[in-house]
Amino acid sequence: MQSQTISSYQTPSGQRVEILKQSFPSLRKRPVKRIAFVSGLHGNELEGVYICHLLTKHLSELQRTQPEAFQGEVHIYPTVNPQATAIGTRLWPFLSIDYNRQFGESDGHSLASKCAQELMHDLKSSADIVIDFHASNLHLKETPQIRITEGFHKKLIPFGVHCNIDLIWVHPPFPMFKSTLGYNMNQSKIPTLVIETGIALRINQNFSNRILLGMLNLLYQVGVIVTNNPPAPVNHPIIVQPSQVIQVHSKHAGLFIGHTDIKKNIAKGEVIGEVVDAKNGLTLQEVAAAEGGFLFTVREHPLVYPGALLGRIAKDIIT
Amino acid sequence: MKETILSIQSPLGPPIELVQFTWRGAQPKNTISIVSGIQGNHLNGIFLCSRLVRFLNSVESGKEPGYYLKGVIKIIPTTNSPAIQEGKHLWSFHDLDMNLAFPGNDQGEVPEQIAATICRQTKDSQFGIILQSGDTHYEDAPHLLCLNPDGLAKNFSRSLAIKNAREPKISSTFRLCLYDQWVDQMITSVILSAGKPNHLDIPLCETILPGLINSLVWSEVLGNDQKKSIKYQLKFNRQSNEQFVISHAGGFFMPTVKLGSEVTKGQKIGEIVDIHSNTILESILSSSSGYLVTLRNNPMVYQKEVLAILLGKPKFPFWPIK
Repeated sequence: MQSQTISSYQTPSGQRVEILKQSFPSLRKRPVKRIAFVSGLHGNELEGVYICHLLTKHLSELQRTQPEAFQGEVHIYPTVNPQATAIGTRLWPFLSIDYNRQFGESDGHSLASKCAQELMHDLKSSADIVIDFHASNLHLKETPQIRITEGFHKKLIPFGVHCNIDLIWVHPPFPMFKSTLGYNMNQSKIPTLVIETGIALRINQNFSNRILLGMLNLLYQVGVIVTNNPPAPVNHPIIVQPSQVIQVHSKHAGLFIGHTDIKKNIAKGEVIGEVVDAKNGLTLQEVAAAEGGFLFTVREHPLVYPGALLGRIAKDIIT
Repeated sequence: MKETILSIQSPLGPPIELVQFTWRGAQPKNTISIVSGIQGNHLNGIFLCSRLVRFLNSVESGKEPGYYLKGVIKIIPTTNSPAIQEGKHLWSFHDLDMNLAFPGNDQGEVPEQIAATICRQTKDSQFGIILQSGDTHYEDAPHLLCLNPDGLAKNFSRSLAIKNAREPKISSTFRLCLYDQWVDQMITSVILSAGKPNHLDIPLCETILPGLINSLVWSEVLGNDQKKSIKYQLKFNRQSNEQFVISHAGGFFMPTVKLGSEVTKGQKIGEIVDIHSNTILESILSSSSGYLVTLRNNPMVYQKEVLAILLGKPKFPFWPIK
């Protein structure tokens, strides 16, 4: 494994902050494919950082025991916003700006946007496929899924099906996504899968292990890793269109008490949770599934305002 | 008239409320909307709105000689009220920049509901002004931001009595800000930026207030029997004429220039010194002449950060006066 600093800057106290890339080179002169894994754009999303750890551990062992398996190149960028990851905050520290809104056409002058440009440049020069790991925010827990902006789906779904995730959600191209790494890499014709899993500041080992398996399978399927022992079979995801996603919102302010976890085959009318008024002991809203299907997002943060998202159901999909 | 245009229940505390002040003349032709507090710690804009509210209430009750209400004036002073109450740039419950939440969603999360309400309340305006302070860690000399201004927008800008206007940079997040929503709806609008976050500069606000009142007269939402509105000179600066001064070391930035002054080529802008030993790490010289429109306010700087922005001399210094 080779380590490289793709970007660095000096803090006010003189220390250097380095954004690292760990690379597993190909045995071939011309690698079959080059694949990059990115995590930590949001510093409080640790699931991807852990998956990168698992990948690095697995690939290091493979390199030691079967160096000939590396027919392509693998690049891992485990913490691309290292100061934010170090303190577990979503935003770029000191500036309080969202690093994943600095890509594409940016003002180009803030430190974060300069680092974003350097990351994009490095990815474009070293990868044919990119995987960008995200957890959810502090409010919601997500089943392992890939989110694809409409228009990129034909190119991305064939890769996504190998990733051992539960669901691929194809959504319309909202303006807010146009400043993200994923959108801009895809615009640059480098297929980039955005994996969303778990919740901020937590690691769900079950989800991480599943995605590790998916990533190893993807490496195998695209010919980057070729071994005599192919990875175990993976789960085939359901593919969901925007019209199939039902959002469940709170109608009141209060505390949301969840009664169920992420769940496949939730029945129409089944109780997801309740919104209660902490001051007077009243239940303000019994939150039930408006449709049967796959409850793939559930709220974890108990504090809710009216309009808060409590869950998402992929309807009419019986798995 | 003061009215609550949005009230959102809170889980345990008081509700989140969005307040709008409205004045209406006898036969209104034009409407102007003035919005501030999109960032919770931009206090100058909120203060300027409060001064305008006092002035307009006084006009309404006949206590301002010569002035009378003609059109509709809407002021929404405390847009991001949760962040204002928290004393922060962003509301920490969502960590979402309010200016990336437009056009909003009435059925969405709190910032989206606020954004949707602002858009709905202001959409019928002919003119709009957004009041803000400099970005986090920066202080702005008063200036306007306006995109591709036509003749009307140029004249509107000139009525504000601000000496400089800049072009906003069109980034991939620009579509999500209130100003772009207004531009999309053909509302003749500007952003007025002055001062720094977390700081109320009353003398600065008092120098800006007469220009704001003049713009109300110019846009014919306010009348005055005794004097006409004034068209001021305004330098329009293109992005290509802007010089960004960048730090090459991290440390304390000690500026040696004054915000709002003219800087000459080769002039020392400041030094970066080591925060432990006070040794000079970098002496920063200006590579061109220009007007110092933005200066770093927080002395703690990282390497590669912007320390100052200079507006170079434009080819055509003044917008033509018609």
